Amino acid sequence: MSTSVKKGNCGPRVPVDDAGESRAADGAGQPPPAAPRRRRPAEPAGNPRRSRTLWLVFLVAAAAIGWSLHGTGVDVASLAAGWEGAREIAVGLFPPDMDGDLLRSVGDAVIETLQISLAALFFGTVMGLLLAVLMAGNIGAPAWLASSARLIATVFRSVPELLWALVFVAMIGLGPAAGVYAISLHAAGLLAKLVSEQLEAVDPAPVEAMRLTGASRKATGVLAVIPQARNNIASLVLYQWECNIRSSAIVGFVGAGGIGQSLGISMRLFRYQELATLMIALLLLVIGVDQISRLLRRRMGAATR
Amino acid sequence: MHIRLDDVCTSFDRGRTPVLDAITLDIAEGEHVVLLGPSGSGKTTLLRCLLGAVRPDRGTLRIGGLDPADPAQLRTIRRRAGVVRQGNDLVLGLTARTNALLGTAHSWGVREWAAVLRGGTPKRFAERMRRLAENQGITPQLRHRVENLSGGQRQRVALVRAVLPAPSLLLADEPTSGLDPVTSRAAVDTLREAEGVTVVVSTHDLAVARQFPRIVALREGRVCFDGAELTDRAAERIYRGAAAGAEVPA
Repeated sequence: MSTSVKKGNCGPRVPVDDAGESRAADGAGQPPPAAPRRRRPAEPAGNPRRSRTLWLVFLVAAAAIGWSLHGTGVDVASLAAGWEGAREIAVGLFPPDMDGDLLRSVGDAVIETLQISLAALFFGTVMGLLLAVLMAGNIGAPAWLASSARLIATVFRSVPELLWALVFVAMIGLGPAAGVYAISLHAAGLLAKLVSEQLEAVDPAPVEAMRLTGASRKATGVLAVIPQARNNIASLVLYQWECNIRSSAIVGFVGAGGIGQSLGISMRLFRYQELATLMIALLLLVIGVDQISRLLRRRMGAATR
Repeated sequence: MHIRLDDVCTSFDRGRTPVLDAITLDIAEGEHVVLLGPSGSGKTTLLRCLLGAVRPDRGTLRIGGLDPADPAQLRTIRRRAGVVRQGNDLVLGLTARTNALLGTAHSWGVREWAAVLRGGTPKRFAERMRRLAENQGITPQLRHRVENLSGGQRQRVALVRAVLPAPSLLLADEPTSGLDPVTSRAAVDTLREAEGVTVVVSTHDLAVARQFPRIVALREGRVCFDGAELTDRAAERIYRGAAAGAEVPA
């Protein structure tokens, strides 16, 4: 055992006064506080340059809004003129059609919607979690894989479900399968982003503790990163289920099955009483799924969204 | 594992704030050493250097003849090391048993992975796990999730995690911080009982330091004492700062 102490010779020292007392007596050896950042001098109130900028921002914003209103033809007069049409639809909704055959077919549509939402949740979650794991920085996937996963997830979620539905209806024809594919892709893109953020937000100390004893990236990901984010990921997946129900009503309008498809048909045939029945059924379904999902999420102790 | 540091310097802010300043230190294989010093003196950074988590700006560092700057050699060093760190670094959401097994993860085969994911202990580690858990008095807690354990119990799980793989290098960073005297004593005993293992423990607690045969005191990133007997006077100077570089027995 041999020891030698050399005079320190790298970097500046913490100043020591004559009595040999360091200035940092308690937290001795703490790096000296960084020099305070130079602040820009406070601008005097009523600075003419600042108020000119404000006016400019205000004018640009007003011009942009005016331009958009003019371009889209929004105006109160046209709304008032259309009042008659709205009244007709509203009156036409009552009373909702409660015919036995219709109720049966509405029931089938509700079940189909539920099936679409769950099937899409399955595919969306499988793809989304895979992408999320590849994307998360603290899992440490190879850079090319992480960036391709990020690109795929971005494409998946930036194309709206409705557009995906049109693509799949054109590919495989009308029906719920097209809806499942459309919603799956969008859900996968969304979950990939949200879940990868959850993974990256875990406490880094346990992750480092595993790495320091030579565990591989895979082992660290499976045993130190994912278990910490588990509850929040489950909560996100359940929330995605709620979103899938709502999405399936929308993609149904372009023929991708479920209650949305029935809604679209009734609307085009001006069967407003049928429409009312379908709207009530959809409302009940959304409320039911929301409640179940919220209950499960609360039981897992995750923050309610 | 034999540890040799030669003129090692590390810093924050691209060299502007030195953390370790020309550290030269030799620790023999199987030796038990305690790093003593006030907080901020560089103890944690020194331990992190040994496992390649902090790269020296200058100087050479060899652990069992291996260079932590080389990724393949670093992997070997890390696989032969056990670490207990200050604060809490167990994985919440997993049981104490699974947490205690995490240090052995690099050696698992398919069957062992399956056993761990089922919540059990792979056969290869079962006997050692039983013995260590019993010594630490945490056998009944093994099946509980770590978030339901007290601070002292968690620290003991972290100790088992470090010792279970039978490391040849055991590093402990403030392993007794936040523990009551009895638990603290048990933690120190576990580290001291590691025969044939090179043990490096950091602490700011003089009473803990005196239980180890060799004390290396750090102050402002430099070694200011290295020896077996630390008098009260010398200890005071370490904390007060007058003795920097002054007292080094031959």
